[in-house]
Amino acid sequence: MLARVANNLFWMGRYIERSEHIARYLNVNYFSSLDAPHELSQSRQFMLRSTLFMIGDPVNDTDQVLDEEKVLFNTALNQEKDYSIISNIKSARENANSARDLISTGLYEAINRFYHYVLNYDTNFFVKKGLYDFTVHVTEQTAVLRGKIRGSLLHDQVYAIIMLGINIERATQIIRIINAKYHDALLATGSYGDQVAHSFEWTTLLKCIESYDMMRRFYRKTPTSLSTLEFLILNGDCPRSVMNSLNQIYRHMSVLDKAKRPAKDSTSFLVGKLRAEIEFTKVESIECNVQEFIQQILEKLVEISQKMEKEFFNY
Amino acid sequence: MHEKKDPIIFSSYEPREGLFDEVFEDNGSVKSIYKTLFDLYGGHSVNDYENLNNKAKASFFNQGITFQVYDNEQTQEKIFPFDLFPRIIHPLEWEIIEKGAIQRSRALNLFLWDIYHDKKIIKDKVVPLDLLSSSEHYLHQMMHLDPPGKIYNHISGTDLIKHSDGEYYVLEDNIRCPSGVSYVICNRTALKRALFGVFNHYQAHSVTNYAGNLLQILETVIPRGVDNPNCVVISPGRFNSAYYEHSYLAKAMGVELVEGQDLFVENDFVYMKTINGPERVDIIYRRIDDAFIDPLEFRPDSALGVPGLFAAYKKGNVCLANAPGTGVADDKAVYTYMPEIIKYYLDEAPILNNVHTYRCSRPDELKYVLENIDKLVIKPVDEAGGYGISIGNQLTKSEIEKVKATIKEHPRKYIAQPILSLSVHPTYIEEEGSFEQRHVDLRTFTLLGKDKDFVLKGGLTRVALRKGNLIVNSSQGGGSKDTWVLKNEA
Repeated sequence: MLARVANNLFWMGRYIERSEHIARYLNVNYFSSLDAPHELSQSRQFMLRSTLFMIGDPVNDTDQVLDEEKVLFNTALNQEKDYSIISNIKSARENANSARDLISTGLYEAINRFYHYVLNYDTNFFVKKGLYDFTVHVTEQTAVLRGKIRGSLLHDQVYAIIMLGINIERATQIIRIINAKYHDALLATGSYGDQVAHSFEWTTLLKCIESYDMMRRFYRKTPTSLSTLEFLILNGDCPRSVMNSLNQIYRHMSVLDKAKRPAKDSTSFLVGKLRAEIEFTKVESIECNVQEFIQQILEKLVEISQKMEKEFFNY
Repeated sequence: MHEKKDPIIFSSYEPREGLFDEVFEDNGSVKSIYKTLFDLYGGHSVNDYENLNNKAKASFFNQGITFQVYDNEQTQEKIFPFDLFPRIIHPLEWEIIEKGAIQRSRALNLFLWDIYHDKKIIKDKVVPLDLLSSSEHYLHQMMHLDPPGKIYNHISGTDLIKHSDGEYYVLEDNIRCPSGVSYVICNRTALKRALFGVFNHYQAHSVTNYAGNLLQILETVIPRGVDNPNCVVISPGRFNSAYYEHSYLAKAMGVELVEGQDLFVENDFVYMKTINGPERVDIIYRRIDDAFIDPLEFRPDSALGVPGLFAAYKKGNVCLANAPGTGVADDKAVYTYMPEIIKYYLDEAPILNNVHTYRCSRPDELKYVLENIDKLVIKPVDEAGGYGISIGNQLTKSEIEKVKATIKEHPRKYIAQPILSLSVHPTYIEEEGSFEQRHVDLRTFTLLGKDKDFVLKGGLTRVALRKGNLIVNSSQGGGSKDTWVLKNEA
């Protein structure tokens, strides 16, 4: 496979995954805030700030009053914002375009249909009535795309590259969402016991990563800070945990780099090392410095991505 | 089911006199080959048909068969207009087209070999020397160079029209980088999606076997010493208007689609940069014009090509399809000698008609042209895409004078042909909500390899969408139709 095309496929995977997380974050955050138990959690302004924080356009001025429709438009349909859902899908499609000969017709058509759906979505309808319909459709379409990726591509290097993009992005987004919601939980605390640990925001966090139902099955308890972080970072059985993403990154990496003992300066080495670190981490040890811990993971994911670029996408 | 007030789609079809209608006889009855199709389509109300038409359009958007249009600072994606009413070609008629297309391809290939080697045809005074020496597309670099398998024009696109006498005429041969074949295939796909029922009544030849045959043809012209050739398609990139076609062909052949930046030449061998390091390339189906393939040999400002590619080709380490320098033979001035060229190399009479052509380079013919511009089409000999064409009977007096002056200045640059009347085909016109007569032509695709040839059974029927317009190129607002070559008489 051409190095240039590999790079495009990698980013196609990343953009598809990214658009899903933004859409779900917007959806869950907005709708759970409508009847949230905490006054702050229920506030529109709080929710909008949280959204902008998560997508990387934080508002630092505490007095600034945000325009709801504008924030929604920017997050979803504003083509001039690089972080918007539409920009992500557009980028995914452009990357798919330049690798069109390698991906299946079915996958390409699904990406195209998706793009035209988003492109033709009425902005006015979206900000007034279409938020739920639009965000749900986006998350569903990304599921369709993943299904096409898994089910209509040969599981060779092409597949491995796309899956690496998807999983590196997934781990990154999980960390970003945890970071945003951790931030929210510190402000919107619970009403009893350790107030941060019992914040309603942990439930929202789990729903933002589509892991609430799985988590309830696993713990059979109301989520707390500790159980939520353990589940989303360390539980390899949760398909939307950092651990699970790293396991997949490790597996797909081995398709590209067949060395049994990866060289010290290889991507494979970095992936294996980070994976082992997370695997042998206990939640108690990160409890008191959550932000520092997730910041470290984020930096290492960036390092892996940069290493990949050097090692495989050099053209 | 349609309401009474909703008219059926053929109700306002008006045949004009003097035009050859592919579907209707002069007396207004439907030709037998179209009878079933006409009955199947004719029952649709305008509303039903409008729905189908929209579905077909969506099919093109979803397949991503679009091109970019820039206006008002915004980029818009558009689809090439597609008409749902297919063109049918009778199997006997097709037989002649197919044989004729192969004959022309072979003759052109022998011609190219000759003019880049001994130039016998010139020594024998069958064609004049200045035909070559004045051609922009003649490449001295190709002299005495033997392309693998002795093939130059692996891929040819022959443009045919049906004149009012009911006969096919070749309008031009395209043997540089003929495009359009992917539209043949996606037109079929779109028609099947929208109106699959009609295929139950007609047995049309498949068109999806093109890419498979292309790969087989390319693999007959492998460089020396290569057993398991690595073939690629090279494209100028995704901003090129034919990018869809390039990616389609690469995908359908199962080979890599590369750009110039993906390739490099080392010790006269060509490699592509893969995630596992360099990989040798043996056959390149190139969709980049001669001038751009190698900045070291041709245009130095080309960023699309590969430095050193021509040297590798010269050494015989890589095959380029089509070969560089083929443009000299698809020039409109060479076209006028096609009957002589076919006779000279194959000792056969041409199977397909040539349009009578006046060469402005010959004083006697120039005189005729200048005196009869109103009855002629004036064409530059080396322009593609329908640019620079003047149609005599559509010019004002002052325009005629202008054209005369340009011809006199560069007589070698122009040829003239009688104004041919392209046949017409019922075509759905969205703005009118009904079928109207529109002019059509037909581009066929011929492949030539070492001891192997292939003609795609079908082709691209291009439609001039503007009323009365004779120019069918997509760059001039043309659309296209699915084209059925029937397996047996309907």
